[in-house]
Amino acid sequence: MDSAAESLSLMRAMSLADSPVHSSSSDDFAAFLDADLDTISDASADSEEVAVEEESILKRVKRRKLELPDGVINPESSSSQGEPKEDLGESSPKKNTCPHPGVYAGMCMRCGQKMDDESGVAFGYIHKNLRLANDEVVRLRDKDLKNLLRDRKLYLVLDLDHTLLNSSRLADITVEEGYLNGQRDALPDNLKSSLFKLNWMQMMTKLRPFVHAFLKEASNLFEMYIYTMGERPYALEMAKLLDPGDIYFNSRIIAQGDCTQRHQKGLDVVLGQESAVVILDDTEAVWGKHKENLILMERYHFFASSCKHFGFNCKSLSELKSDESETEGALATVLKILQRIHSLFFDEGREDDLEDRDVRQVLKTVRKEVLKDCKVVFSRVLPTNFPAEHHTLWKMAEQLGATCSIELDPSVTHVVSTNAGTDKSRWAVQEKKHLVHPRWIEASNYMWRKQPEENFPVSQPKNK
Amino acid sequence: MFFHIVLERNMQLHPRHFGRDLRDKLVAKLMKDVEGTCSGRHGFIVAITGIENVGKGLIRDGTGFVTFPVKYQCVVFRPFKGEILEAVVTMVNKMGFFAEAGPVQIFVSNHLIPDDMEFQSGDMPNYTTSDGSVKIQKESEVRLKIIGTRVDATEIFCIGTIKDDFLGVISDPGSTS
Repeated sequence: MDSAAESLSLMRAMSLADSPVHSSSSDDFAAFLDADLDTISDASADSEEVAVEEESILKRVKRRKLELPDGVINPESSSSQGEPKEDLGESSPKKNTCPHPGVYAGMCMRCGQKMDDESGVAFGYIHKNLRLANDEVVRLRDKDLKNLLRDRKLYLVLDLDHTLLNSSRLADITVEEGYLNGQRDALPDNLKSSLFKLNWMQMMTKLRPFVHAFLKEASNLFEMYIYTMGERPYALEMAKLLDPGDIYFNSRIIAQGDCTQRHQKGLDVVLGQESAVVILDDTEAVWGKHKENLILMERYHFFASSCKHFGFNCKSLSELKSDESETEGALATVLKILQRIHSLFFDEGREDDLEDRDVRQVLKTVRKEVLKDCKVVFSRVLPTNFPAEHHTLWKMAEQLGATCSIELDPSVTHVVSTNAGTDKSRWAVQEKKHLVHPRWIEASNYMWRKQPEENFPVSQPKNK
Repeated sequence: MFFHIVLERNMQLHPRHFGRDLRDKLVAKLMKDVEGTCSGRHGFIVAITGIENVGKGLIRDGTGFVTFPVKYQCVVFRPFKGEILEAVVTMVNKMGFFAEAGPVQIFVSNHLIPDDMEFQSGDMPNYTTSDGSVKIQKESEVRLKIIGTRVDATEIFCIGTIKDDFLGVISDPGSTS
């Protein structure tokens, strides 16, 4: 009757604790309790496994008898058949067979065993001490995908800077932007609700027009994540501004410290299947492995410091006292695209199962419609000693559905050039084909719509 | 589990405090320093209930500070493996939920939540049984069993389970249980 004797000695020890006389050995006491309780739980686990102790056998038998008829009624415990096994499985046996799905603060999440290895992926943004094994991540992703598809939702990963907002250090505010520092009442209407000064971070942030409506609509179609290369405190502050009710993002805010690779964002820390994730970001380079999931956003430059950072010499939106259009701006456009992608993905008419569909395919299909039926030739745009097919513009045009070619022929519809004086450019004008600046391709890429060619004329060279 | 034990601490006092109220100042400083802290061995020191004995002060060489060894009685809270606790849920997500029992943070992973409870995402993420009768969400009170503790210098972390008999939700927030 080892366990009984041990429980008795423990009780004695506890009563000792109450009397101050003996408690000068407080250090001993704590150590004693530690050792005692640890061995007791181990012992009881062993006994259940080994089934030597009569008490435990009796207990188990009793439980079994109780469980079989009651299992259905009692919602607290797990389903009836599983119960006896799970009981045993709480401690030791699970330790041997436990797959250790994850680690919280150095302990296995399932059996409590101390584990100090660094395998698996850290999910510090959910809780700072959390790690999950790779198998567990796969399992969770599958399970979550089923739930999400049932709710007719996909995943959306959002970047912060230049995509949903623009931030500037207070020190970088120029003289012409000085009016932004004034009283809130003195600001123009559109800034009152979207400009925020964060004194404790020495920063000022402007939310992109339409962002609140965008988030509200997108939350009906997507489970959203924030993924930024900024630091965690910054990310949390911005999330508070974008999502004051904490309903859109909850604990899904990923910051620079959570990336597993330096200077690269990855979907490995996102608990969602890659085939169902859409990414919105203004930078392509950081998403090295996931370019197919990416929708590239036009950068939002509100502050002068942002323009300067990217090498633009023009006045910023803040200096011009203007802003991106709310209804025609990048967020409004991208929302329509997202709605289109969503409805195409969940199209009832398709034959394949929801789980087999891939949002990357849908993205490709939608993209290919933009410049469908266009045949494009480049002039004075591609470097001569470089394989043309690898050039970004060529690839962009092909992704948008256009066919690219090096040689002119009657089926060509557009000549893309920076100089109206080249042979090819003159041929285009002669044959009444469209002569456009390369920015026409880029704009079509950002707006997901073929842009009017008249808006992208090619300048005449100075000497004809 | 709560314990009422006697601990000892060496308190350093600046000479400006010497005088009539020396003992009171010492006790006040002790309370400020010790209440609310956590040590690995004893757990969280919740409150000091009495001073048992203040030893003779020793003047430190080089500075004018005096060190008093103080024995004091206090209530400490320390979770143990196998203990059953009541806790309040603070965060629910697809991997499980986090609950707090006083200063201790406990994580219950979805492996240790009964199989008939499913995760529902949304405005208020929660775990619900298929018939909707039992729901675990933020601010719910649950009874759980600790299956592992990890002690840091200043914090204690626990892994818990609600898969056993008599464990689980005690009351729903905002409703009579």
